[in-house]
Formats: sequence, C-alpha cells, structure tokens
Amino acid sequence: MDMTPMIDVVFELIIFFVVTIQQEDTFSKLNANRPAPSNGSAESSNDITVTIEVGRGLDANGTLVYNGTRVRRPDLDANLREIAKTSKKTPIVIRCASNSPHKALVDVLDICYKNQLFSVSIFTM
Amino acid sequence: MTPMIDVVFELIIFFVVTLTEAQRKDETIELEDGKHGIVLTPEELPPSHMQIDIASRDRNGKYLPRGRISMGDREISPAEIGRRVKERMQKYGEFPVLIRADYDCQHEAVARVMNACTENGIWKISFMAVQEDKTSKPGRPGRKHLARLKKKAD
Repeated sequence: MDMTPMIDVVFELIIFFVVTIQQEDTFSKLNANRPAPSNGSAESSNDITVTIEVGRGLDANGTLVYNGTRVRRPDLDANLREIAKTSKKTPIVIRCASNSPHKALVDVLDICYKNQLFSVSIFTM
Repeated sequence: MTPMIDVVFELIIFFVVTLTEAQRKDETIELEDGKHGIVLTPEELPPSHMQIDIASRDRNGKYLPRGRISMGDREISPAEIGRRVKERMQKYGEFPVLIRADYDCQHEAVARVMNACTENGIWKISFMAVQEDKTSKPGRPGRKHLARLKKKAD
C-alpha cells in the first residue's frame, strides 16, 4: 500500500496546527485566607501587617505601608526576606483599602510567595 | 489504514475542542504579574474548582468602579455566587475558588466576591496571575502599554 499521500496529509495537518496554535501565557495562582468576620479585626501580636492604601497624594497603584512607614515594593521584599529568615510560618496580614487596585494586592502576595511566606490572610478596610 | 484515520480525526477533534474551551473566558481581563506563584497546570485545578472572573471595564472599555463579575461567560451577582457556593459546598464539601481579577479593578469588587465565598464556608481563595508573559510581544499591546492607553482614555 502506498503511504506517501497519507503522510503528506498528516504533515500538512501538523504544520497547520503548529502555525495556527497561539502561544499562551502561563499562569500562576496565589493562595490566601480570609479571616473570619468575628476575629477579623483582632490581630494577634506576632502577625506582620502590610497595608495597601490609596488616597490623596498617594500612588494610584496602591501605597504600601509596613511597620507604620510607607515602603516601596523592593523595600517590602527586603523586609519580608528578613522575616522569612526567622520563621517561614509567620502569619502575614494584608489590609486592603476598598478603593485600592487589585494589582497592589497581587504584588504583595507575590512578594510574600517570593519569600516563601505562605500563611497570608486578606483583610478589607 | 482505518486506525490511522481514526487517530487523525481524534487529534483534530481534540484540538478543536481545546481551542474553543480556551476561548470561553472574559477576554477583557488583564492579569497582574505573579512570577512566584504556584504554576497553574490542569492538575492544579480539580474539576470541582470554581473560577470567578472580575473585569474592571464593560465591553466598550468604560471603567466600572464596582467591577463586572462573571462565571463561565455569564454575568453574575455576588448573591448568586453565594448561592452557587452554598450548593456546591453541600455536594462536594470544600472546593478551591480561583478569582481571575483584572489588575485594574478595585479591591472592593474582589472583597464582595470573597465575602460571598466566606459567608458560605470557603475561606481559602486563590488569585490568578501571569507567571510568564508570552503574548505581550512587539505588535501586540502588553499590559504596560494597555495601562497607558487606559490612563489616556480616562
């Protein structure tokens, strides 16, 4: 049996799919917990809190407040790296202003994941 | 010959189905980068998982402060999400919730979706982000370029 035309067709199909297939972004997921409404405001003293604020004169991309001072994203990264050295189980609380952009939350979550701090909870102000 | 033709047809059907599957999502959503997150593979998403999309704009590009929440391809209210979560909770027990929210949407919209989940017993929420950006190549606007365009439009 002559296989040549068939192989031609199969190659044609393969080329068609290779050309038409679009490369897609690869995605990641960042897990977080939501604190229970009852104890949401009662934070334990060893929690690390990162606040995302938006307001007059502040960065529209969300200003990060850590330890009472405004920090840029690389600074937060450096701070969290220090914390991760002591204990990776340190609970992190992210407090988001309700008008802050979602990208700021993802940025902070990503910084937490970068430093392998996986115990993160999100609190809405 | 017949088995070979069978296989080829099988392949064609597979590609057609997977291609249409990938299109069934809100294309207006631009995700923020999250390079250090857990890489999303099909195994990371069990069939019981629930994906909720939150867009920051309507289909004409107008900014919506309260966001546009949808599941599959249908717009949905937070109350409806709550009902669905409750229903699924009773069927499967705890299941993963993945929120695919636009980088530009306000936290308030995300909080409303999260509240709908927590009120019905889901405390663990995952956010989708871009692990590796392969589509923002020259000739095609990337996230940063889109952000500039949107800023101009406002």
